[in-house]
Amino acid sequence: MCDQTFLVNVFGSCDKCFKQRALRPVFIRSQQLSYCAVCVALMAAEGLHENETLASLKSEAESLKSKLEEERAKLHDVELHQVAERVEALGQFVMKTRRTLKGHGNKVLCMDWCKDKRRIVSSSQDGKVIVWDSFTTNKEHAVTMPCTWVMACAYAPSGCAIACGGLDNKCSVYPLTFDKNENMAAKKKSVAMHTNYLSACSFTNSDMQILTASGDGTCALWDVESGQLLQSFHGHGADVLCLDLAPSETGNTFVSGGCDKKAMVWDMRSGQCIQSFETHESDINSVRYYPSGDAFASGSDDATCRLYDLRADREVAIYSKESIIFGASSVDFSLSGRLLFAGYNDYTINVWDVLKGSRVSILFGHENRVSTLRVSPDGTAFCSGSWDHTLRVWA
Amino acid sequence: MKGETPVNSTMSIGQARKLVEQLKIEASMCRIKVSKAAADLMTYCDAHACEDPLITPVPTSENPFREKKFFCALL
Repeated sequence: MCDQTFLVNVFGSCDKCFKQRALRPVFIRSQQLSYCAVCVALMAAEGLHENETLASLKSEAESLKSKLEEERAKLHDVELHQVAERVEALGQFVMKTRRTLKGHGNKVLCMDWCKDKRRIVSSSQDGKVIVWDSFTTNKEHAVTMPCTWVMACAYAPSGCAIACGGLDNKCSVYPLTFDKNENMAAKKKSVAMHTNYLSACSFTNSDMQILTASGDGTCALWDVESGQLLQSFHGHGADVLCLDLAPSETGNTFVSGGCDKKAMVWDMRSGQCIQSFETHESDINSVRYYPSGDAFASGSDDATCRLYDLRADREVAIYSKESIIFGASSVDFSLSGRLLFAGYNDYTINVWDVLKGSRVSILFGHENRVSTLRVSPDGTAFCSGSWDHTLRVWA
Repeated sequence: MKGETPVNSTMSIGQARKLVEQLKIEASMCRIKVSKAAADLMTYCDAHACEDPLITPVPTSENPFREKKFFCALL
């Protein structure tokens, strides 16, 4: 069971019985204490009401789940696409590849835009992380990671650093420098430590904190300067594959999706899961917030993308077609939230009308799976990365 | 690459209690009707459609990717 972000053996005096034993971290009312194994077991058994058994707890859980479904169903008075019937249909949609970024020697796994709307960082299976100027297609920086399968990369909000990680189970931050004499790899800082691969990472509103998601089933918030773990998020029953931070106006929450088919919304300060959604039929590969922060979309191996509204607390739209049978690996919204771009494993990118639920366009060009897709910060274009070793900028 | 957890039939008391607590928190949440949520999504799209270069196309000269400008300087 993937329950811990890291495993540390600490010996000392137990906070409860004061005996010298091997200690485990325990959280009581958000405060971290160290208990020995005996006290941990006693604590779990403590507060067991009369007749409370595993079976009674399980049935209570089942009845709560059906109550939850009932409450959600009561408010399901209409479908989104029905309400959207009176919205004007979108005009002709023409998008073409405007730039092709070639240089990776193997599958491109992840990419991110810089806030300057021009630079892009991308990472690939061969361990290379490259920073590009998307206007000129020039490579500005390149670094080789000590591991392969760099599955996550992110640009810092200031544009002065990048973060990346993958099979090394770590997230490392590299400051970007234009000094030709400096070796980028020399200034590398290891920030996050997980017990399994790093699947996603993102800076929060500043360069000082990073949020990571890992194959060990947890997400974690880290301080970049000290490398300290600030908060960890436990709840997924399997690998966490993706995460996205809420747009800054809406506050301190983020959404994560995993192999347990669940999308979970978390409070960053308390580490608590606020909401969870389980309607997908397979692994969720990508989650992205709607620009207003009131909803989020997810792309999954079940070949569908879905829109979940956070205030209605339910799925409000499914974007699927019988002809689409390959999983969606990556999704992102256009600036206004009207369009949803989704990259699929059948090498195509589908563009969906978020409100009406219909497909607006299908874009061909990549010669292998589309693995990552992000819209630029000013919404003028989006970039897709693929297993065909290239990135394409579409506008 | 991606792991799969088999259905967990050997849940401990601690895990079961955590699950019940979590479900209680989720059940007590305040929800709004889908019609209201949908209307708000539509309002947002409408309000920002003019700022979205992919919905209301901007002249080619203002989209740095579409214009045929040369970015190389001749030394």
